[in-house]
Amino acid sequence: MTRRELLERCAFSGALMLATSLTVPALAAEWDESERKRKPTPYCELGPFYKREAPRTSTMRAPSDAGMPLALSGAVYNTRGEIVPDAKVEIWQTDNDGHYDIEGYRYRTLLTPGPKGSYAVESVMPGHYPSRVCQHVHYLTTASGHRPLITQLYFATDPVFEGDPDKNYTRDPLIASRELVRPVMIKADAKQSIAVVTFDLVMETL
Amino acid sequence: MMRKLIWFAFVLLFGWPVGAATTHVANLSLPCDSYYQVPSPDGIQLAVPCKDHSLHVVSVPEGKELLVIPSERRANSIAYSRDGQWMAVGFHDGSVELVSTGGLAPSRRWQASERRIDGLYFFPDSKMLVVAPADSAGQVWDLAELPKLRATLQFDFGGINACAVSPDGKLLVVAGDDTVLRWYNTATWQKTLENREFLLETFALTFTASGKEVLAGGADARITVLDAATAKSVLQLPPETGTYIVALDVFGEQQAAAIYLDDAGEKPPQQQIWHLGNAKSISLADAPPTCEAVVGGKLWFCTTEGKMLHISEYQ
Repeated sequence: MTRRELLERCAFSGALMLATSLTVPALAAEWDESERKRKPTPYCELGPFYKREAPRTSTMRAPSDAGMPLALSGAVYNTRGEIVPDAKVEIWQTDNDGHYDIEGYRYRTLLTPGPKGSYAVESVMPGHYPSRVCQHVHYLTTASGHRPLITQLYFATDPVFEGDPDKNYTRDPLIASRELVRPVMIKADAKQSIAVVTFDLVMETL
Repeated sequence: MMRKLIWFAFVLLFGWPVGAATTHVANLSLPCDSYYQVPSPDGIQLAVPCKDHSLHVVSVPEGKELLVIPSERRANSIAYSRDGQWMAVGFHDGSVELVSTGGLAPSRRWQASERRIDGLYFFPDSKMLVVAPADSAGQVWDLAELPKLRATLQFDFGGINACAVSPDGKLLVVAGDDTVLRWYNTATWQKTLENREFLLETFALTFTASGKEVLAGGADARITVLDAATAKSVLQLPPETGTYIVALDVFGEQQAAAIYLDDAGEKPPQQQIWHLGNAKSISLADAPPTCEAVVGGKLWFCTTEGKMLHISEYQ
């Protein structure tokens, strides 16, 4: 049964009183829209290692790179739940040893999700380094008519959280929201194990 | 005589040794664990931001405690006005407090932003203050009466990383998180020039005494000299690869001091003195630097030994 049918039946049976200005289809559309609405992705700071003009690549990991392979994916929405078609997603992180590439562009990419809004990139689990508590991946998402979204993705499997990110996510003072700590799914075949993480980005309109 | 000859040969071969070019200013007992300190430009105070987010202000050279901002208020950034009369403190809650260092005027506090205040920069005449909230548009506040917002500085994204005002106060140069350097006319607040040559972020900016050049340093680990009239780079000094510059000061005859942090946070900070004329540098001290400032035209720098802070002056 569709929402519209449900509303029509309720209205017909008297279970729903409609205001004169509202029709069943309009009410169904509003219901749909309210369900699509999304909270903006929480902000988390840019940090000092951003580098402009990153290459457009969906493969940041080279076959010989150390560290557990990581598959990051998601989509870019606005707060109404609509795809943001012209978004640009810049992603940067350390290598598995916790080093940013400042000279070049290792583990840096610029993605254009396109009409479907989705992005996917192959990487490795970033390392820890002394001045930061948790493993993390930086995101900068820009699109016309939207507030630039600066944030970081964290991993629920990070040893810092000791298996309880709900309780321990504040151990990294930069993590202002639990939402940024994402579950990690391990996919394995005979050749290798891959950490799979999804991270949708929700932008605020200007 | 022989000793003098050997000394002369040493200086000829290796340059003037660092120890001979520095003089002791003061030894102070630190009131807390502190990564860095901020001397006032008149050299009579030292602000000590503590690891617990409290802020202690002590007199120099006595080390007498003058002011304490408790840790609950979470001070995050500090700046002195050029005349040393005012100190601005930025807090985690986005508020800014303006304190009269001599206690001659009441403090003023206002809510500048919802975000943590990462940087504060006084104009040379102390009448305006640039406020840098984390990853947000920059703000220029008029301090003449109640703090009044004069201008908002927008970037492609993020906020201010560094800022410098020309000696005559007419030009403001701002380095954004977006890696762009922007020039503003402070009479109109119009952006007049920009430089998009930098791929990495700039964390330190300063004008030369003449106001004709701007020095920039940051994640590219090197000092770039820019023409203040055109925003174009005219000189790049060799990089200290694997580091990034967080502090930059010009002093004396064509000299610049820079503090470099290790990219990976594994090695201690280091400090270099550059001669802009011949692009040569020397290391200033064996111990990691914890401050640098120009006081009375001379470069002051700090090192720590346990709880003891040593302030020295480079000749």
